[in-house]
This record gives sequence, C-alpha cells and structure tokens, in this order.
Amino acid sequence: MSALLRHRVTLGWLVVVALWIAAGLLKPGFARIGHLRYLLELASITGIVAAGQTLVVIGGGIDLSVAAVITFSAIILPLLTFPFDPSGMAAVAMTLAITTAIGGLNGIGVVLLRVHPLILTLATATILQGALILIAGGSAVSTVNPAVTFLGNGDLFGLPMTIVTWLLIAAVTLFVLHGTVLGSWLFALGTNDRAARLAGVGAGQAILAVHAASGFCAGLAGLLLLGMNRQGYVGIGEPYLLGSIAAVVLGGTSILGGRGTYLGTIAGSILLVTITALITVVNASPGWRAILFGGLILGLLLISGRERSG
Amino acid sequence: MRQVPSGAALHARLIWRRNRGQIGLFVLLALLLALYAFLHPGLLSWAGIARFTQNWFPVALVAIAQTLVMLMGGIDLAIGAMVGLGTVLAATLVGESALGAGLGITATVAIGVAAGGLVGTIVALFGLPAIIVTLASSFLIGGAALLVMPRPGGSMPGWLSEGLVGVHPTALLILIVILVAWRVLRATPLGLSIDAAGDNPAGAFRSGVNVALARIAAYAISGGLAAFAGVYVAAQTGAGDPLIGNPLALQSITAAVLGGVGFLGGQGTIRGAVAGSLLLAVLVNVMFFLGLPPVAQYVMQGLIIVAAMGIKRLRERAA
Amino acid sequence: MSGTAPVLAAQGLVKRFFGNPVLNDVSIEIVPGRVHALLGENGAGKSTLVNLLSGVLAPDAGRLLVDRQPCARLTPALARRHGIAVVQQELSLAPHLSVVENVALGAVPTRHGLIDYGRLAVEVGRVLDRLGLDVALDQPVEELPLGKRQLVEIAKALYRQPRVLILDEPTSSLTAHEVQALFKVLAELRRQGTALVYISHRMNEVMHLCDWVTVLKDGTRTADRTMVGIDPPALVRLMVGREPGDLFPPFRSTARGELALEARGLTAPGIQGVDLVVRQGEVLGIGGLLGQGQEELLLALYGALDAQAERLATGGIDRPSRNPADAIGRGLAYVPADRKREAVLLPLSIRFNLTLPGLRRLARRGLRRFAQEAEVARELTTKLNVRGGGPERAVQLLSGGNQQKVALARWLPLSPNVLLLNDPTRGVDVDTKREIYLRLKGMAADGMAVILLSSDALELVHLCDRVLVFRDGRIAADLAHRQASEEAIVAASLGVARQEAA
Repeated sequence: MSALLRHRVTLGWLVVVALWIAAGLLKPGFARIGHLRYLLELASITGIVAAGQTLVVIGGGIDLSVAAVITFSAIILPLLTFPFDPSGMAAVAMTLAITTAIGGLNGIGVVLLRVHPLILTLATATILQGALILIAGGSAVSTVNPAVTFLGNGDLFGLPMTIVTWLLIAAVTLFVLHGTVLGSWLFALGTNDRAARLAGVGAGQAILAVHAASGFCAGLAGLLLLGMNRQGYVGIGEPYLLGSIAAVVLGGTSILGGRGTYLGTIAGSILLVTITALITVVNASPGWRAILFGGLILGLLLISGRERSG
Repeated sequence: MRQVPSGAALHARLIWRRNRGQIGLFVLLALLLALYAFLHPGLLSWAGIARFTQNWFPVALVAIAQTLVMLMGGIDLAIGAMVGLGTVLAATLVGESALGAGLGITATVAIGVAAGGLVGTIVALFGLPAIIVTLASSFLIGGAALLVMPRPGGSMPGWLSEGLVGVHPTALLILIVILVAWRVLRATPLGLSIDAAGDNPAGAFRSGVNVALARIAAYAISGGLAAFAGVYVAAQTGAGDPLIGNPLALQSITAAVLGGVGFLGGQGTIRGAVAGSLLLAVLVNVMFFLGLPPVAQYVMQGLIIVAAMGIKRLRERAA
Repeated sequence: MSGTAPVLAAQGLVKRFFGNPVLNDVSIEIVPGRVHALLGENGAGKSTLVNLLSGVLAPDAGRLLVDRQPCARLTPALARRHGIAVVQQELSLAPHLSVVENVALGAVPTRHGLIDYGRLAVEVGRVLDRLGLDVALDQPVEELPLGKRQLVEIAKALYRQPRVLILDEPTSSLTAHEVQALFKVLAELRRQGTALVYISHRMNEVMHLCDWVTVLKDGTRTADRTMVGIDPPALVRLMVGREPGDLFPPFRSTARGELALEARGLTAPGIQGVDLVVRQGEVLGIGGLLGQGQEELLLALYGALDAQAERLATGGIDRPSRNPADAIGRGLAYVPADRKREAVLLPLSIRFNLTLPGLRRLARRGLRRFAQEAEVARELTTKLNVRGGGPERAVQLLSGGNQQKVALARWLPLSPNVLLLNDPTRGVDVDTKREIYLRLKGMAADGMAVILLSSDALELVHLCDRVLVFRDGRIAADLAHRQASEEAIVAASLGVARQEAA
C-alpha cells in the first residue's frame, strides 16, 4: 500500500476515483452524467495547457508564459476576421501559428541565451501582458468565428469537442513522450542535462520543440476558452498558469524534470477541477478555497515523497 | 611574514571586494539617474527624492527578499501574496486594533518572519523544490489574506501615512537602516553561513555550517521583509488590499536578476538587489517622462531581463 | 610506537550504497603523534571511510569511538567539536567568499556576537604563513589557481587546531616546493601530538612520512600494521591483491599509418596552442598534474567547450566540433571521468543508458523501435559482461565498475573513429580495470584511435604508444612509449624535464 501511495501517478488516479465516489454518495447531483461531463470539459482546458507544460517540465524546464499566451490567443483571434475566411479556419490556423512561434521564441532564448526557462518565460509573459493591453485596450472582445464556436461548444458523436480535442492532444503527447526519440531526449535532459548533452542528445532541438509545443497547447486552450465564453479578455488565461503546473505536479511528474508521464497529468487535471468544484459546493469563502487548494497540493507533495531540493 | 591588517581594515576590504562584477551595474545606474535628473530637475529636492523613493521602496524590499531566497538556490513565488497579507494585517492591526502602531507593525513583520520560516523549513528539511512549495504557499498565504479581509478595506492612522509617505524621505532612511542591518548580520556567523550555504551547500555542510538553519533564516528574513513591504504599501494606499501585492512577485524576480543573480557578472548581493530595483524604478520614470504609455513598462521589463541575460552570455563567451 | 590511547577509532564499519557494499567490517585506530597511511586503489572505500570518520555519512553497521567513548550519531559539526578535521579531495570551499572567510568558515571567532575580524586576520594569517601560502586574506577563492586552493583547504583544517587531521590526496595539485612546506608542517604536528591520517597514491610520500598503514581492497581491510619493514612493492601487492605487473596486458602497438585526428593550434578555455596527431589504432596518453588542461583538451575536441584551431581534422571535416552531437556525427566518442554527473543517467534503466547515444540511428524517422533497442541492450550487456541485473534495472543499482562498463559500452554501436577516455578507471575495482584495459586495447586493435587521459601514471606507461604531458594548458613533453617511464612523466608534469635535457 505504501509503495502504491509513493507511486504518484497511481496516487493521483486513486484520489480522483475516491473523490468522485465520495462526492457522488454525499452529493446526489454530483454523479449525474451531465455534471461529470461538465467537469471533464473544464478539465480539458487545464489538461491541454498542462500537456505542453508536462513536456517542458520533463525536459527539465518550466513555462511560466502559458497564461499570457492563452490570453493572447483569446484576444488576437477575434481581430482576425477576413472576408475570404467564412469558416474561421484560417484565423484559427494563424492564431495557433503565432502562439507556436511565441513558444518557439521562448525555446530560442533558452537555447541561445542560456537563460533559465523560469526567468525567460516570465519575461515573455510580461512582454505579452503589456502588448495585450496595448492591442486590446483592456476591454473584452467577442467573436463570431464559427470554427472557434464549434471547438468550444460543438459535439462530435455526442462527445463535446473540448473533450475530443483533449483526447487527441493526450494521445499525441503520450506518443511523443514514450514512443519517439524526442521523448527519450526529454527524459535524459531532465534527469541530467550535462550527461545528456555529452551523450549526444540534441538539446537545442528538444528544448525548442517542447517550448513550441507548449505555445501551441496554450494557444489551443485559449481558443477553446474563447469558444466556451464567446468572449476574450485580459486575464482570461490567469488561472491556468498555476493550474497547469499543479496538474503536472499532482500527476506525479517531478518538477525538477526527468520523471513523469502525461497519464499522471490527466489525473492531475481532473483532480484539480474536482477539488475546485467540491470547494465551490461546500460554499467556502475565496480565502478558505485558496487555503484548501494550497494545503492539498502541499499535503500531496509531502505524502508522495521527497525530491532533491531545488 | 605578512603584514596583518587590523580587523576594521580587513572588514572594509572584504566589503569592498563584494562590489566585484557589479561596477558595470552601478555605472549604468548612475548614468540613468543623471538622465532622469536631467529630464526631471524636480528630482533634486527633498520632496522630489521623497516621492521617487516612495515608488521605489516596496520594490526594493521585495527585491532584497527575493535575492535572499535565490541566493539559496530557490525562488519565492509567494512574495506577492505575502505583501498582500502584510497590507491587510497592517490595516487591521495597526489601524483598527488596540495594539497601536509600534506593536501592530512588529506583529505584522513577525507573522511574515514566521510564515517565511515555515516555508523555509519545508524546503530545507523535507527537501521539496522551492518553486512548488512557494507556489502552494502563495495560495495558503493569499488565502489567509482573503480571510483577514475579503475585499480592500481597513485603515492606517493618518500620522503614520504622513510620516512614511509624506514629503519626507523616510523610505530612503528605512532602506539605509535595512542595508546597515544586513551588513551587521553579514558580520555575524549566521550571515556568513547564509552566504556560504548559498555558494557551496555541500562544502559548507562539511565545514560544520548548519546549512538547514541558514536556509530557514534566509526564508524567514525574506518573509519579514515582504510583510514590511505590505505595511508600507498599506500606509501608501491608506488601506489593506489582499491582492495588491501580486505584480510585485514578478518585479522582485526582475530586480533580483538585474541586481546580480546573473546580470553583468558577479554573485547576488543585497546591494545588487537594491541597485537592480532602483534601475527598474528609474527606467519606469524615464519612460514616463519620454511620454510612453504606462503599460509599455511591462514590455520594457521583459526586454530588460532578456537583454541582461544576453549581455551576460556574451561576456561569458568573451571571457 | 607510542602506547597512547586512540583519539578516534572505528569498529566493524559497514556501508552500502544502493545495496552495493563499499565498506565491509572495517576497523581502524587513530593514535596521537602518529602518521597513519590509508592506502587502497580508487574505489577501495578510502573516501567512504573518511566520510564515516568525519560524520558526513552514517554507517549501516559498526560503531565509532571518540576518546574510547562510543559516539552514537556523528555529524560534521560534532566531529569538528571533537577536533576531527578533514582535507577533502573534493574541495569544500565557497568560491565567491574570501580566503579568510573560507579558512574560518564554521569556526569563526566572535566578539559580542559579531565576527572578530581582528583575531581572524591574525589567526588565519598565521596559518597561511605556516604553509608558506602567499595570498591576500580578502582574495576570493575562485581567483586562485587549483594548487593554492588546495592549500587554502589545508589551512582551513589546520586553523581548527585539530586533534585528528585527515588528509585525502592533499598533494595532487601541489608543486614540489609546496609539498616540502606541507611536509614540514605535518612533521611539526606529529611532534605536537596530532593524530594524522594520510591518503595518497604517491608511494614515496607514504614511505617518507608515515608510521603506520591500513590497506583497503574492495571495501575490506587487507593490512593494518607498522610501516617498519615494508617496501612499496609489498604495499602495492596488498592494495591490488596481485603483482602490479599482472594488471596490464603486455604492450603491443597496433598503430597504423592513417591519421584519425589532427589538431594544430587548438585553443580553448584552459588550453593554448595545442598540436596533436593521433593515428588509427594508436593509444595516445594524456598526463600531468591535476587541472593542467587535460580535461579541457578532451572537451574541446568533443565540442563541449568553445574552441578555435588552425586545423582540426577528423572524420573528413576540418573545423572544431560545434557541440557533442556534431562531434559524435564525425566519429568521436567521449567517456567522462565523473561517471555519476556526466556519463550515466543514474535513475534511468540500463537499456535507456546503453541506447541513448545511438538512439537516433536505432530509430526510424524519429520513432523508436523497441525491439531493436532491447536487442542492442542485450548484446552490449553480454559483450561487456555487465553484471547486476536485467536491462530494465536502474543504473544506480549497479556497482561503480559496472556503471563504468555501461558508460563505455553505450558507444560501441556507433563504432567511433576516435575514442576520448577521461580517467576511465577512476573508482573502479581491479577486475573491472583489467577488463577495461583489455577492451581498450581491443578497440585500438580494431583500428580505433584512443586518447586516454589518466591520473594514474602506470596506465600511461603500460598502455600508451605515446604520452603527452600537460602543464599550464600546453604540452610540456611528448614521450614515445619507450621513454615514458613513471619518473619521466612526473618530471615533465613538474616542469623539470627541460632542465635535465639541457
């Protein structure tokens, strides 16, 4: 049992299952399919942001620019309406290309300037934050882009598009991590950067790739959010910075890199949304909500074992 | 045989040596200050200095707080929340309780020290990574601030606000006191331990230094400074606001990075942190005088970090 | 010998790392006024024993006695209070702090709670003078050359006026002059009744200085006796467990005519204007005192340091490698000295480690092929006789020797043209050493050029076609196999060769 508890991926899923059963028994409304589906829809946003974050973190880095990129994506898309693009697909593609490029710039900075990713992505976030206010002037922007509305609200074979998108991203992420050379390089870099480079790991390419992937994922999450809300505003991405990191860590991935899997992050994302929902259900004040949330993260960390100090 | 210097002479030389690698920063700072004084001659008066230092002061405090933690190989993402907690505690304890100003401020700072010490203990004793512990703590501390005061409110005594943020350069004085206090601490075994534990933790441990204690002390001092920054912000705004500290988390990191935890060479020092925060404050003011919109300072902050790192990388390559 | 009671004693110490025993039932008595030699090969357990005696590590079994009193839990701070001081091989200095702060760290004199800088200046100055160390008190340690840093480390131990002084390879980067000064101080300490423990690979130092000797071999004690009536060959037999000559395969050159690598005017941080050629099938030795640019040479060739060169030709391209991946593409391979930090990825599996350098070639369009990876891992573990479990076990569960085999074996699938070896037998048991020597000669015989950096002069003497001795980042001597005696290498590294030749 204690070995099971120490295995963080399993621990994450166990806590999710336990929470769902307990909440289902105590709160009759909780276990309704509609409600669970709603939880999963919410979790898919965090899960998609956390997919890029997982890749970056396993490679030994961190991306603190995801919130700014989400907001950027949700604000820039409504500005991209063209007569030749009635479906809105071109705007979606352009937005994703831009956010992927922003991620790529993060990667280039980390590789060329050898700045710690924590500091560099923080700088990127700050620059974007300023740029956004200059572009949008602080007011909310609405969209009528059909492609985005479909992504945020549509169904495919009875499944919400958000969940379908998440499943796709999850499959690709798991495949990249465990089935490609890039994935192996990430584990090697995160475990021991110097040893990995000396063994011929293409560190520059790998770092560039994961940051670009993180930019893509954050951009996609921004589009889904925009589709769900039909509105983008400064601050829309805010909760997903800490959310994505928390999902990664709760899912058993080492924040220091080299150890983890996206399977755990999926559990972490669902766990996060569930905890937030339950805290809302018990009608706690925002203060208690934050304390419960922080306490849970810290508690789970302390249970699931120590790491090298960072 | 060597000539043995006197204790005072040796101490003075050691202090001077710590400027190593920071001269570039100081020169840049002097040039910018001169430019600012040229654009805005009003700076060169008591009132001008007072107004300028008041804007700069909270950033200087959190920059020192962040530098202490970063010296220990960590990072503190809870500094913003701690400033928020400081403001609501001050607006409650100082303004609206029987404690009075002295005890109220002391209690607020003490709570900051205790919270920082607790975070440091978890990092040092449980070996958990600082980034995650301080991230979780930012929720705990921010939550506590919301419990004290769910929305902005409370009050600060008028005479205190007048004293701290009136036309007197009180902030500058307090900053000098803090720098002197750090110098005194640095001349104690504990202060030396903090520097040594940050420089080479394994070696310091083998030399008999209590590395865990040094780490905890650094986090505790950092917490106290952040809480005091909260007191000052509360005096500035006349009220407590649980969320007001959030932008300071980022500024503290920017200033610490500028101040030597990797700018123009050199190791992080407290004077570097102060210089870094001053650089930031002057730049914001200069940009304002050049007619740039206020939000442009965000873009500038980010670009400065990237530029600073780029310069550092170029110098390393050249060396 | 004096019949005084031991200040520090250990009884039946056992220590394991990840289940591998590194010390097994070792006892030792440290007596005042005696210089106690602690001998053993790299990896025999000397450093572990020192770490146990100084409280850095806790034993898994056995006990420590200080002044005949059992000591339940020794910490570095407690050891210091008992008067136990250690001069470590791995430096414990804080690079950004000054000489004076480093020497006194952990034991600063205070007055009214503040550091007493006056006393500090006097006391630290005295210790530095005693060692003949001429550096400013306020100079940051990182600005000092390696030899002086080693002396600061010794000063740090002396400053505490220890009752027990343990010195782990204190002379590895000192000049002959500095060694003389150190020996004078040690003789004085012995007269004053300090208990000294001296660890060194240099037999003449041990013969000259020590009264008593404890020998470790593969974690067990093979001798504990007086130095009276014992000669160096007998000591080596005790350490190695066989005649020293048996360790090396008989020398036979396999060098061919074709150049494998040529460098002219190679300059990088730490080396200047190095010219070297190595032919296919040749074993080129690199020697010298610690930190004279040998490692930088290998790293520069491997693209891990920024390097400039008039000519650097290998694998049909004439330019310095841009990074290790580029160097590997040109047929270079590098086995680092610090296995745990630079070679193997400890928590990851044996299979992962063995396939990592060749992963891109094993894969098809970036997609991994698991069957082929498993096959390669199986082949390599058999070929290099890696013992310690299946391919999915973490490398950290292997013994040091087997970890080193993994570090070497992972290059074989790439069949490199030039193999750069950085002290490949450091911290490795004798049997693995032999296996590595045979493997190394075998690879040279297959036509690979081998550049072997070694801190063990005997390896250079017995294995290499030519030996380049480094001093101050330049080549100080280029010795052919028959000129390359242990004495010639040491003389060249100390810079006395030129005078003798003139």
